[in-house]
Amino acid sequence: MKVDIKHLAKLSRLNTTDEEEKRFEVQLQSILEMVDKLPCISSNDSLVDCSNPMKCREDVPEQLYKREEILSNAPQVQAGCVVVPKVIE
Amino acid sequence: MELYKLTATELSNMLRNKECSSVEITKSVIDRITNVENKVNAYITVTNELAIEQAKSVDEKLAKGNKLSPLAGIPVGIKDNICTKDVLTTCASKILYNFVPPYNATVYNRLLDNDVVLTGKLNLDEFAMGSSCENSYFKKTSNPHNLEYVPGGSSGGSAAAVAAGEAILTLGSDTGGSIRLPAAYCGVVGLKPTYGSVSRYGLVAFASSLDQIGPFARSINDTAMIYSAICGADKMDATSAKREYPNFVANLNTNIKGLRIGLPKEYFAEGVSEEVKQNVMEAAKLLEQNGAVLVPVSLPSTDYALSAYYIISSAEASSNLARFDGVKYGYRTENYNNLIEMYENTRSEGFGDEVKRRILLGTFVLSSGYYDAYYKRAKLLQKQILNEFNETFEQCDVLLTPTGTDTAFKIGEKSNDPIKMYANDICTVTVNIAGLPAISIPCGKAKNGLPIGMQFIGPKFSEQSLFNVSKKYEDLVGGFNDVPTL
Repeated sequence: MKVDIKHLAKLSRLNTTDEEEKRFEVQLQSILEMVDKLPCISSNDSLVDCSNPMKCREDVPEQLYKREEILSNAPQVQAGCVVVPKVIE
Repeated sequence: MELYKLTATELSNMLRNKECSSVEITKSVIDRITNVENKVNAYITVTNELAIEQAKSVDEKLAKGNKLSPLAGIPVGIKDNICTKDVLTTCASKILYNFVPPYNATVYNRLLDNDVVLTGKLNLDEFAMGSSCENSYFKKTSNPHNLEYVPGGSSGGSAAAVAAGEAILTLGSDTGGSIRLPAAYCGVVGLKPTYGSVSRYGLVAFASSLDQIGPFARSINDTAMIYSAICGADKMDATSAKREYPNFVANLNTNIKGLRIGLPKEYFAEGVSEEVKQNVMEAAKLLEQNGAVLVPVSLPSTDYALSAYYIISSAEASSNLARFDGVKYGYRTENYNNLIEMYENTRSEGFGDEVKRRILLGTFVLSSGYYDAYYKRAKLLQKQILNEFNETFEQCDVLLTPTGTDTAFKIGEKSNDPIKMYANDICTVTVNIAGLPAISIPCGKAKNGLPIGMQFIGPKFSEQSLFNVSKKYEDLVGGFNDVPTL
C-alpha cells in the first residue's frame, strides 16, 4: 500500500523534508504490512468496556490555580494573555 | 555501610531503630548519583536540595515520635512524564524542555503523603514511546550491568536508577511493556498494575486507554509497599476504579501449594531465545517443586497483539499529542509567519522521529476510509484477547512467561529498524491491551552477564497473587538485590 506521507503530515500539522518523507514512507509501509495481518472479526459487540463505567466530576467551577501560575509556562505572554499570531484579517 | 545498596524495607527498619537517619540515606544516594551518573545517565533532573530538605523534615518528624508510613524518608525517583509541581517535567522531549508543572500528579501527592524523598526526574524514551531509552531528546541511558547496552524502555531511567543504586524506589509508566521490559533488562522488579488501579492524573498521556503508572524496586516487599501507597480511586481520573485495596505487604503469603501456573505456549515459541526459555522453565520447575502446579495453556490471539497495540496506541497518541502546539506551554519555534506555520514548525522542530512516526501512523489509521480496516478491527481484537485471557484464568491462577524475547541489546543496534524494535514488546503488549496486572522479576543471568526477566500475569486486580508467587520465588533464590559495581 502506498502511504501519502505529505498528506498525513499536513493532517498532523507536521512538516517533513524530502529525506524524511522517503524514510517515513518505507517505515510506515513495513509497519502497515505488519498490522495488515490482523484477523477480521465479525461482531456487533460494543467497543466500550462496561465493567468499569466512568463517572465524570461534577461540572463545578473551582479556583485551582492562579492565572500567573498557568501562564508561567506559555512561550509568549502579554497583559495576562497568551500571544499568538493574528488569526483574522 | 553503603546505604544506597539496601532495600526500602531494610532502610525503613533501620530508620525506626535509629540506626541511621533519612538525611544519611539521602546523602548516600546523592553521593552514588554523583559518582555514577556520568556513566549511567538515568536522570534528566536531579533534585538534591529538595531531597535533603524533605529528608530533614522526616528526621524531625521521627524525632518527635510521629507515626510515619514505612516509605517515610526513602529516596524515590520519578519518570519525567509524571508531573511534579515546581520541578521540570520534560517527557524527554524538546517540545517540553522548559515545562514546570503548576500541580502534582496524584501518584506524587500520594508519595508525598507518605513522606518520601524525591531524588529527581528520570530519563525515558520521548513521550514514553520506545523500548530502549535511546529516543530521549536529552541523553541515552545505559544498562548498569553493562554500559554498552540499553536499559530497555521506555522507563529506562527508572529501571537503571534502581538497579544502579541511584534511587531506592522509582516510578515508571507502562503502555506496552515500558515498566516490565526495562525491569527485565536491568535485573529489578517492575509492576504494571491493573488498568484503573493507579490514577493517571498528572501522567502526560501517550495512549490513555493503555497507560498505567507502576513501581520499580529491588525486592517484592518494596514493590508491594510502594504500590500500596499509590493505588486507589481518584476523583481526578474518571477511569480510576472505585474499589477498596488490601494492605499488600501485610497480606503477603508465600504458600503456593496448589497454585496453578499457566505456561502459554505462544510465549515460548520461535523468536524467544533458548537461554531465556530455559531460565524461565527452570524457575517454573522450581515453583512446581515447591507446591505449584504447571498447566500448559494457549492464547492464540497473541500473534496479533503487537499489531493491535501499535494501531490503538498510535491512534490515541496522535490525538493526545495534538495539544503540543507552541501556544500554552513548552517550546515555540522562532520561525513562523502565521498560526498554521507556528503549529507546524513548532511540532516539527519539537518532536523526535519516533514520536512523528507514531503521530503519522495514528493519523493514518484514524483517517477517513481506513478507520474500519485498522482501528475498529484492532478494538475488536482487543475484546477477543481479553476474552481469551478470561477463559485461560478458568484453567490457571496466574500465567508465567518470559518478559522479553532476549536480554538487553547494544546501544544503537536496533535504532534504524522500527519493526525490530517493536518486536521487543511481543511478550508484554497483550497485558496492556487486556488491562491486566503483570510483574517482571529477575530469573538469573545469561552467559553475557545480562539479567533475564520473567513475568507473572494475573486476572484484573490480582496484584496480591502476583506479589505472593513472586515473593516465594524471591525467597527460593535468595533475593533480587544485586547492585552492580560501576
